[in-house]
This record gives sequence, structure tokens and C-alpha cells, in this order.
Amino acid sequence: MKRLYFLLLFFVSLNAVNGQEIDNDLLLIKRRMDSIKSYEAQIKLDVDISFINMPSKYGKVRYRQGEPTKVTSRDFIMLPKRGLDLTLNELFEHPFITVNRGQENYKGVSCKVINLIPTSSKSQFSIATIFMDTSAKRIVKSEISTKMEGVFTTSLNYKNDIDALPTAIEVEFAVNNVKIPLRFLGKETQVDRKAIKQEGSKSGKIFLTLSDVQIGR
Amino acid sequence: MISLIRSEIYKIGKQSKTLYALAAILIIEGFVFLSAYYQGAGIIDLLLDNLKESFEFQGNLLNGNLIIYLILNSLWFHVPLILMIIISGFLTSEYKDKTIETVMLQPVSKLNFILSKYIVSIIFTLLIVLILAVTTFLISYWIFGYGDLVVYLDGLNFFESEDASYRLINAFLSGTITMVFFSVVSLTLAVILKDATKTWIVAAIFLICSNLLLKIDFNNEIINELFFSKLTDSWQYFFYYEVPYSSIYFKNILLLAYSILVMAIGVLIFKRRDIQG
Repeated sequence: MKRLYFLLLFFVSLNAVNGQEIDNDLLLIKRRMDSIKSYEAQIKLDVDISFINMPSKYGKVRYRQGEPTKVTSRDFIMLPKRGLDLTLNELFEHPFITVNRGQENYKGVSCKVINLIPTSSKSQFSIATIFMDTSAKRIVKSEISTKMEGVFTTSLNYKNDIDALPTAIEVEFAVNNVKIPLRFLGKETQVDRKAIKQEGSKSGKIFLTLSDVQIGR
Repeated sequence: MISLIRSEIYKIGKQSKTLYALAAILIIEGFVFLSAYYQGAGIIDLLLDNLKESFEFQGNLLNGNLIIYLILNSLWFHVPLILMIIISGFLTSEYKDKTIETVMLQPVSKLNFILSKYIVSIIFTLLIVLILAVTTFLISYWIFGYGDLVVYLDGLNFFESEDASYRLINAFLSGTITMVFFSVVSLTLAVILKDATKTWIVAAIFLICSNLLLKIDFNNEIINELFFSKLTDSWQYFFYYEVPYSSIYFKNILLLAYSILVMAIGVLIFKRRDIQG
């Protein structure tokens, strides 16, 4: 009898999940972002990873609707694989359902938290958690668990309460230490292989600062 | 003294071994260029492999600055070995051909003679490093262009192109002092051993031991700071993200002092010894 109840409960909950639609606030934010046909901005990149020393890098970020966001620079730059999708196009590429997780305070802002669960095997992420500032109609934080590239946590900071695009983006992710070809080793560089193996992955951060943002609608 | 130096320079200019030295330097450069051209992208890929999971890269790291850095690394062994072999030959060939006896029959003081050898050896070293540096910079930038430099030294350090050029130039300058030290040592070994083959072998052993001792921790701060082998890597310090200038100055000044000491020992031995081929 218990088994029967359990099965009944399972199918009812499954039906409830299948019946869920995409969160209205998320759709509202998506529509707002879709109104942006293009944007261009100057971008400053700073890397905060324990084993990488890199000066601030400068470039230009350019977005045209229907095309992936492009960053160009005359220097060598390292871009996070996630975090630059400000228009949410990558998340909306394949179908998903949303689950409301309630309200949560983030950096003094009361946010609506939702989970995005893909319903297509083609989706590149397995689950995403989105923190939405529903009054300002924008996303302030996202945690995206990708299938191949680990977890990316993105925090978005805005200049004022009106802007649709952030001026500062912080992307946090797990990163493995580098393998070193021998010819790159300085004579004094000691490589503690055991320590490297034990260390596994570390968390790294990339800070992107946008300026001179020009939006085309 | 000046006429002796001129005469030594003339001799070096006429000797085929000078051309061999230049050819050897250019061959080393050629090998690095070829391996970088064919394997460079693979090495960079391997270096950044783990980061590819989280990052996308834009820009070219296989550029002139990286090639110059790879050639600069020949200052660890290849360049000092060539210099030690050639420079010891400046004196051992005089013993072998007995020309030293002819020179000493002239009104030439032993002190001036050996000092002129040391001075010309230092000039020759400076010239070889200069040729290495100039050809390396010109060819590397011409073939591979400019770009950021990536070096693994206590972490993965990225330097912007201009900063990289500045660091590479300074590293060559600092490395020159190390090369002068090895050159002076090789001439002193030639004074002691007289025979070319013996001098080459001992010079090579000296260089190998010096490289090995550099890695050994003596568990004694004074030895670790002051021992000669610990001073030969100052040029590499320019590739720490924050350049430790005080350490570089200290090491270079001390290495110059060692060079003068080794030269003084060579001069004293040469002065006291009878000239016999």
C-alpha cells in the first residue's frame, strides 16, 4: 500500500513539474533584453586566479542580435566561457522549465530565485539558478552548472536602478592548475607534483568592467 | 697594453674558431626558431590545456617575445659552454703552437699579456651576447611578430608586449654578466691546465656542476646567498611578476666580484709560472 502511495505521489509530482511554465518575471527580463538589438562597450578584464599573474586587459565588447557576443583586443585576453551572455540567449537556446525557489536577499536586494532545468538533452547546462531583481527587471546573479565546463557563478552590478546592462560583472568558476612543459620552467621553479595533484581545482574569478556602453534598440 | 689588446683582437679576428663560435650561436637560434615554428603552437596548447575548460583565449602567445625568451634560455648552458670552449682556446692554442714563448721573448710583461687576454675575452663575450641578442630580437619579431609573453615562474606570468621586451632586454644585459663570469673562469682554467682538451673537459664539468649546484639548497642562508653558483641566474629574475631588483643588483655585483677574484687568481698563477708550451 505504501508503495502505491509513493508511486501515486511520484506521478503527481512529475505531472506538476511537466506542467510548469517558464517564470513570467524571467520572460519579462528576457523581453527587455531582447529589445536591445545591439550594444558596444569598452571592457576591462582583471583575472584573480592564484597561479596566474596578468595585468588588466582592455578591449571592446560588441553584441548584435542573433550573433554571439564578441570581445576584441589587441592584447592576449582570457575570457570566461560563461558570463558574457547578458541577453540570456544561451540559456534560452534550448527548452527548459523553471522552478520558483522563493525570495532571497542578495547584496541588499530582495531577489526572486528560480531554477532553470533543461528539458532537452542538447542543452549545455544541467541546472541554473537565477537571482532576479524583479522591481528593476534584471538579473543580479546566476549560477550555471554546465555539462562540460563546470559551474560558473556570475554577479552583475549596475550603475543605477534603470540600466538594463551591468557595468561590472564578476564571474567565478573552478579552474585546474596548469600543466607545465619542461622548457617553460625556470631553473628555480620547483614543481611539487603531489601537491598539484592534491590541490585539484581552485576557484578563479574574472572581473569585467564595462564603460562607454552604447545600446542600439 | 693597448697594442697588446689590439694584437689579441686581431688574432681572434683571424682565427677560424671565432667564426665557429658565431656559427654555433646562430645554429642554436636556428634550432629554436624551427622548433618554435613547428611545435610552438602545441607547447602553448599544452600549457593552457587545463584553462581551456573555463576560458576562451584571444590573441597570439606564439610570438617574437616567446621565441626570444626560449633563446634567452640558452644562457643556462649552450652559450656559456660555447664561450668557455672558444675562450680557453685563446690561451691553450698559444701553448700548443708555442707562440706564447715567442711573445714572451719580446719586451712584453707577463701581467700585461695575461690581462690583455682577459680583457679581450670579456670583449669577445660581450660581442657574442650582443650578436645573439640583436639577431634574436630582429629575427623573432620579423618572423613571429609582437605579442604578450607567457612564462611559468612561480605561476603563470603574462607580460604585455612592451613590458616583455623591456624584461627581455634587461635579462640579456644581466645574463651578460653571468657569461663574463664563465668566460673568465674558462681562461683561468686555461692558465692552470694549459692543455686544450683538459681545459674543455674541466670547463664543461664546471658549467654542469654550477647548474646542478644552483638547484641544491645548502640549508645555510649565507651559502645560498653568496655561493657563486647561486648568482648565475639573476637574468631569470626579470620574469617574476614583481621584479626583485635588489636581488638582481646584489647577485650581479657579487658575480662581478667573483669574476675579478678568479681573474686575479689566473693572473697570479700565470705570473709565477714559467712559460713552457
